[in-house]
Amino acid sequence: MKSINRFRAFIKKPHNIILVVLVAALAYLTLFPLVSLIWDTFIVHPSEIMSVKHAKVGDVTLFHWRKVFLDGERSLKLFYQPLWNTVKVSLYSSLLAIFLGGAVAWLVTRTNIHFKKFVSVVFIFPYIMPSWTLAMAWLNFFRNRLVGGAPGLFTAITGIATPNWFAYGIFPTSIVLGLHYSPFAYILIGGILRNMDANLEEAAMILKASRAKIIARINLPIIMPAILSTFLLVFSSSMSAFAVPAFLGTPVRFQVLTTQLYRTLNGLNPGYGYIMAVVMILIGTVILAANQWFVGKRKSFTTITGKSSNSSTVNLRNFRKPVSVILIVLVAAIAILPLITFAIESFIMAPGDYSAKNFTTQFWLGPGSEDVGGGEPGVLRNKYLYIALWNSIRLSVIVALFAGTIGGLAGYAIVRGRGTKLAAFVNNLAFFPYLLPSMAFGAIYLSMFSKPNLIIPSLYGSFALLVLVGAVKYLPFASRSGINAMLQLSGEIEEAGVIMGIPWWKRMTRIIFPIQKASFLSGYLLPFISCMRELALFVLLITPANRVITTLLFQYNEKGWNQWANAINLLIVAIVLIFNTVINKITGASIDKGIGT
Amino acid sequence: MPQIVLNHVTKKFGKSIAVDNLDLVIRDGDFVTLLGPSGCGKTTTLRMIAGLETPTEGEIYIDDRLVFSSGKGIDIAPDKRDVGFLFQNYALWPHMTVYQNIAFGLENLKWSKEKIRERVSALLATLKIAPYEKRYPSELSGGQQQRVAIARTLATGPKVLLLDEPLSNLDAKLRTEMRAELKRLHMETDSTFVYVTHDQLEAMTLSTKTCLMKEGRLQQYEAPMQVYGNPGNIFVADFVGSPTINFIEAAGNNVNLDEIKVEAKGLRLLFTPVSGSVTLRRDHPIIIGVRPENVRVGGDGGLSGKIYSTLPSGMETIVKVQLDSLLLTSVVFGSVDYPIDGDVTVDFAGDKCILFDKGTGEKLATGNIRIV
Repeated sequence: MKSINRFRAFIKKPHNIILVVLVAALAYLTLFPLVSLIWDTFIVHPSEIMSVKHAKVGDVTLFHWRKVFLDGERSLKLFYQPLWNTVKVSLYSSLLAIFLGGAVAWLVTRTNIHFKKFVSVVFIFPYIMPSWTLAMAWLNFFRNRLVGGAPGLFTAITGIATPNWFAYGIFPTSIVLGLHYSPFAYILIGGILRNMDANLEEAAMILKASRAKIIARINLPIIMPAILSTFLLVFSSSMSAFAVPAFLGTPVRFQVLTTQLYRTLNGLNPGYGYIMAVVMILIGTVILAANQWFVGKRKSFTTITGKSSNSSTVNLRNFRKPVSVILIVLVAAIAILPLITFAIESFIMAPGDYSAKNFTTQFWLGPGSEDVGGGEPGVLRNKYLYIALWNSIRLSVIVALFAGTIGGLAGYAIVRGRGTKLAAFVNNLAFFPYLLPSMAFGAIYLSMFSKPNLIIPSLYGSFALLVLVGAVKYLPFASRSGINAMLQLSGEIEEAGVIMGIPWWKRMTRIIFPIQKASFLSGYLLPFISCMRELALFVLLITPANRVITTLLFQYNEKGWNQWANAINLLIVAIVLIFNTVINKITGASIDKGIGT
Repeated sequence: MPQIVLNHVTKKFGKSIAVDNLDLVIRDGDFVTLLGPSGCGKTTTLRMIAGLETPTEGEIYIDDRLVFSSGKGIDIAPDKRDVGFLFQNYALWPHMTVYQNIAFGLENLKWSKEKIRERVSALLATLKIAPYEKRYPSELSGGQQQRVAIARTLATGPKVLLLDEPLSNLDAKLRTEMRAELKRLHMETDSTFVYVTHDQLEAMTLSTKTCLMKEGRLQQYEAPMQVYGNPGNIFVADFVGSPTINFIEAAGNNVNLDEIKVEAKGLRLLFTPVSGSVTLRRDHPIIIGVRPENVRVGGDGGLSGKIYSTLPSGMETIVKVQLDSLLLTSVVFGSVDYPIDGDVTVDFAGDKCILFDKGTGEKLATGNIRIV
């Protein structure tokens, strides 16, 4: 009797129902695939019959594990070398991102530099743009004759041939990833600096501490947890980046785990690939655990007072002008210059020749001619482009609707059920997809849904599979936004509605959502933007029928059709930036609100 | 002699004026409160004295040293002004222990380790926080954090102590307790205190002089009892005192040499100034201010009214009486429970009633009121 009553009380609360449904759904969509992935590392796949002796498809074997870990020179080439490369690239890029993003955050929030508004808007661009944007820009500038084509703008202008190490491989990969993720560091560290109580510094100032001492003894220790968690997040993001190393590493056979994953899964040894996916998930989990440990050890140091918040900016005095100018040039170089190179590259006929008579609108408007790129028409007359673009937009909108709505509900349920084990479990489950490298996540869904599975029929090659993988992968963004939104809202606001007998759905749609509109909508915006520019997640799952614009770009790029690739990239960047700006202006939702706090 | 002088100090934030042409002299050893509603510029004034905020115009002297002058381009940094500052939210450094928080200022003065230990231990003992020496601020209660903040401010022995609403984050009981301690500290440290508050009771009980501000302008700068008994204008009379002063709007006419006939709605009174005679226009719009303790309830004769509400709190009872359209507040000593809507008589006692000009809001005279 007692337990029945308790159960009744439990299901009377809407947030409990949401939590229970989410546990079931997320366990099926994230934990079950993980198990299925691990199982895949032990069986023989159709393409592997040739290499595994005396085996039938579906046999259990340790062959893959032996080959990946214990096969001397081959393992080194196949796995250890790429792993080491991954670690190095992730390390360098996170250091660069923190240094650059942190410095810009400090300048914008704590000093009196000029053009703050401009810098803070434009500096975010590289994060909103697809990650390979900067990689393509790098190639446009610095490519040399190694890959057979014409050299880039830099060589064309200066006449200096770029060495291989500068044009391709670990150096540009680290730089480009570092630049791509520095807005991320900027948002996280800037948020802390902006919210840090200026009184803490003033108290030290009055007690006769020097500026240097205040930074060393007060500011740095207080933002240290934020720096550490930024480091870990950028590290894991760089680790799972695919497009950048694929663009910049491939010409010199520089391999990282993601590019190896792509090769093996698309090639003859998917078993190897599944093992690498498991390794990446493990690293990701360890990083998250480390992050939670760091964050948990010291409670958040920031207090929000608002009082005197804008009064403790450092006067840069004589440095004000030069620092402002340097910053503007830097921001323009990483956020605006790439776009100009795409435009230029898409308008020239023979690559490498930047003279006026070589300019053409062929690749935008031309009907296509037999001698260039197999007769492909210009992008604006290309029906494949329109199909892919329509697919991308359709996919992003649907994914955003699913992820945003479920994430918002998850945020509501997690905050309302705070303190219970169930809520904590859902919180972790909803964040879990963040840890799964996109490529590995795609691999899991490929392995799991290429055959009928429980209630779900075989989805291979279907649009629904893309929606499913996207919605689950971006759920963490949406649930973070939802949690942030709910945490800022006092429970009494909803209770006032409960007392008046307003039904739950009406409380959600008429009270809670309108109040925190901007935060909840950010939970839709972030999945939308991410989906529009996603490559790694979809690249394994795409079939010609449901190509999206990013995979189309990747194909053109692989074929070496540089002008089309640049034109499409410019289109993607333009679409993403326009959508982001319009949504931000209309609704107040913004990317940094989603990452925020 | 740490005397603080502000000459024509103005502070503008963009177009809004936070502090408007403020002149103030804070004498050595004074305990001055800057009192006013939020947004009146009191915190800004305090921060300008500390050097945390730069005035738009004016001069500031501390201890006869010019620390700020807009004309001469002087702006001494906060660390060179030899002041202590107690922040409203304490601003304890969250990553340092109680000991480290208190010792930080002494380290900056390059004291030896032993001397720092000695000084910090003494402060920990004085402020009764010795057991928490190794704790972090987040592990302390609000009251304990407050004490750590005080210890940290006192550590370097500043001769001028600037306090920004230090008690506003404490609960009522702790606040009363800390008030007593602050008053003792003022005496023991023999320094000058400048104290910002919006709580008039705090200003009354603590300060030697109260500086009332409204919208960036100085309203009155006198000893608290002076401010209470002799408010310079309607704003001051209204802001100071709890329960609030009664205002009776009326038309005034000079009669019988120096008396004033007061005609309000259904009320005819005679005001006799004791502070000197007043000349009014015919039917001059005036406001009479009567403190609740000067409204007598249940005496012989007087006006008849009805009890609107009665709030006994043990030591005293606050009674509101309805007289036609007028609602008067009275304070009666002891606990008296009047029946609501019961009939009662009211008259006015003492010669501390105040006559204001309704148009300018300025005080015209103090005196007594008789009912006619």
